[in-house]
Amino acid sequence: MAEPATQLRDLPAPQPAQATTPPPGPAAAPRPSGSFIVVRDRYTIYCDRPIPSLDMPNATAYEVTDRKQEGRAMYALVVRPDMTPRISVMRVLKGLEIAHVLHLVDWGVAEWPPAERKCVIVIYHRPMGGRVMDLKGGVFRRVPDHLFAKNIIKPLTDALNELALRGITHRAIRPDNLYYMDEARTNIVLGDCLTSSPAHDQPVAIEPIESGMSMPSGRGAGNVYDDLYAFGATLLMLSIGRDTLQGVPDDEILRRKVGQGSYATLVDDERPPMTVLECLRGLLADDPEQRWKTENVDLWLAGKRLTPIQAKAEKQARRALRIGDQEFNSLRPLSYALYTNWDKAMSIIADGTLEIWLRRQFDFNEMANAISSAIKTSYDLPGAQKGEADDLIISRILMILDPRAPVRLRNFRVNVDGFGPALAIAMMRKDKLKPFSDFITKELWRYFINAQTKPGPEHQQYEQTFRDLKNYMKDQSTGAGIERCVYELNEWQFCMSPMVADQYVMEVKAILPALDAASKSVNTKMWPVDRHIAAFLRARYAKGTSMQLDSMNDARADRSTIGMLSVLAIVQWRLGPEALYGLTSWVGGLMGPVISSYQNRNKRRELEREIPKFVRKGNLAELYNYLDNPEERQKDAEGFSWSRTEFNAADKQIYDLEHGQFDRQESALRLGRQAGAVCAGGIAFLTLVGCVLSKLF
Amino acid sequence: MTKKTPFLLYAIIAVAIGAMMIPTVIVLSVALVPTAVALIMERKKGWYGGVTVGSMNLAGTLPYLTDLWFKAHTIEAAVNIITSVLAWFMFYGCAAIGWAIYAVTPNVVSSFMAMTAGRQITSLRAKQRELVQTWGPDVEVIYEPEHLKAAAAAEKAATSAPMRTSVAAPASLG
Repeated sequence: MAEPATQLRDLPAPQPAQATTPPPGPAAAPRPSGSFIVVRDRYTIYCDRPIPSLDMPNATAYEVTDRKQEGRAMYALVVRPDMTPRISVMRVLKGLEIAHVLHLVDWGVAEWPPAERKCVIVIYHRPMGGRVMDLKGGVFRRVPDHLFAKNIIKPLTDALNELALRGITHRAIRPDNLYYMDEARTNIVLGDCLTSSPAHDQPVAIEPIESGMSMPSGRGAGNVYDDLYAFGATLLMLSIGRDTLQGVPDDEILRRKVGQGSYATLVDDERPPMTVLECLRGLLADDPEQRWKTENVDLWLAGKRLTPIQAKAEKQARRALRIGDQEFNSLRPLSYALYTNWDKAMSIIADGTLEIWLRRQFDFNEMANAISSAIKTSYDLPGAQKGEADDLIISRILMILDPRAPVRLRNFRVNVDGFGPALAIAMMRKDKLKPFSDFITKELWRYFINAQTKPGPEHQQYEQTFRDLKNYMKDQSTGAGIERCVYELNEWQFCMSPMVADQYVMEVKAILPALDAASKSVNTKMWPVDRHIAAFLRARYAKGTSMQLDSMNDARADRSTIGMLSVLAIVQWRLGPEALYGLTSWVGGLMGPVISSYQNRNKRRELEREIPKFVRKGNLAELYNYLDNPEERQKDAEGFSWSRTEFNAADKQIYDLEHGQFDRQESALRLGRQAGAVCAGGIAFLTLVGCVLSKLF
Repeated sequence: MTKKTPFLLYAIIAVAIGAMMIPTVIVLSVALVPTAVALIMERKKGWYGGVTVGSMNLAGTLPYLTDLWFKAHTIEAAVNIITSVLAWFMFYGCAAIGWAIYAVTPNVVSSFMAMTAGRQITSLRAKQRELVQTWGPDVEVIYEPEHLKAAAAAEKAATSAPMRTSVAAPASLG
């Protein structure tokens, strides 16, 4: 991750170079303030100079000037805090100049005054020719047909090739995300693909059927075939000059695509130019295996005519299955209809209609058996309630009927590789997380893998990953649960703890400074290590903090408190910084249970006196070593044990003295009489001696 | 037979000595009456009463006995002594003091012992308080004598034993 290296300044903002100053757009947002920020001591980003024409659905564009290279046209996209930008792709693309891909100059996390928090900021070369297609009007200035292949298809195919070579999927190829870099509008480039999770902002029309069925956040990084489909759909719209499906609801688009095929749906009543027809058909094939690859496009561009793609017809039933007022003869449309009629689906499943239909019309006995097994095993699940079991059955049956489709559970629709970003976004937006936990704990991922007709290399990895996630979900301790899952699945997810969320902490070494800063504003009665921070550390730094986090989960208050301190201390000791005054003060104030764990009151008073000295040093490791000194602990334990024995012995003596009254009187009588006799005997003896002596002398 | 020979011997010796010391015996037989009474009265409580009263009684008699032994050991002198009011006062006064000693000393010793125990308890309690102040209330381990522990255990066993309840037969079984 790029270092923040950010300066915040107030007015006056430096004036950008004349050449880079864009004409103020009519739709310019109201200027919130006159501030600017400087990133890496180089890029000045003007908070009060937005560029609405370059905004992305999840990022706002602002003017940027480069202090080292004045005159270089650039702009910054400030990502919405509740979106997961593609940091791993940023790390690859930073500084790379890929032809016909918008050049990523730099990126980083910086304090963003309008949001009053840190945000991810991406700096691009500014496309001076603007968008190829406007966002609102959806109107495209058509390129002459004879130039279409050369000026549009060729450069974009080269760009896709380059990205594919680097193992990157773009997942944001759409007409309004293509730009002309030059004012003459000759150099077309693929736009930003970093400011949202993969394919999040793609319209359903542009995405392959499977991806379009998924929730925007759960589409996943996909593969190059998804990019090629989006490329094909984009080309089709550019060639026609408009979006033929504008205004059509997403459900209807998907229904049409599933029923008629993508090409027919997207073309609608229009006629794309004959020159690109073959290419469009190839790129818009619904079967990824039949879909054209970039090599096919290159060959086509080179003039080689390829065999036209004929969509493989799905097997049709002789007798249709009726759902509501619609009849279905093939599986995929039926599957989609069952999904859209979720509440009615169970009726044809429960009465065996579907199973019989599959056996009789298709002779799909294996599929029918799988459905029968899904029904039986879902009801047998421990603790399964009727409604939940029904939902699980429908979900499993949809997977069986249409294995390529995403996992669907009522409104929850996600591709397995898009589960991570979807979970992160749902958590950031405080959406309901139950479908996500059900996906893991009810093993929907496993049913999805089992339903696939062709085992993919990624399936084994999914299985391993989700098995681990299921174990995390079973574990209710701090540092596990759904929070752990989100950080395990999203390598660059910032820590979502409310205490440090606005600091956008993506790396472990930044967590303590963030907590130190938070100590000024948060309620210091709370622990600085909450479920999110613990899960973040477990996911990012398990090697260094695992034992400490286990200790933090101890049921005894003193052990868990010292465990919490040890978590922070080990991170500071290993990763710095040297001094954390605010955080040490905060943690020092929470050490009550640790102090109380010493039995000796004098020791407690000593600890209370000493803690402020460690706070002044700002060193958590020293504080930990002082509070959890094994020798002192042993001394205290031994002293306590000895004192208990002493107390008990004294109590016994007191009991004996208090309860020995009768014995005492008896012995007093005996002793008194003895003493009296001795005294009297002594007196008699002395008298005898006295008398005898007086007579003798 | 073997046991009677020494008794007879002692009796003969005693009579011989008694015959030689008749004046002393006369005085003692009058003076030591309180001793004899004490021995008889307190014989069930041991010899301490007799010893105490006897010692004091003897102490009161000794000045007259030494007069008798060192001046004129005659029956006449012995009669003079036993007819003297002062001598009687001395004999019985000293015996009374002996009784007083015998009666009072147990109470004195008892009071002393009680006073010592109180101070010991106070000292132990102070020590306990100090332990609690240093180590907190968890340090308190209350002593429970064995007989009380056994009684408590027995009571617990009695209360936790399953109660025998009568179970009514289901109606269908009559």
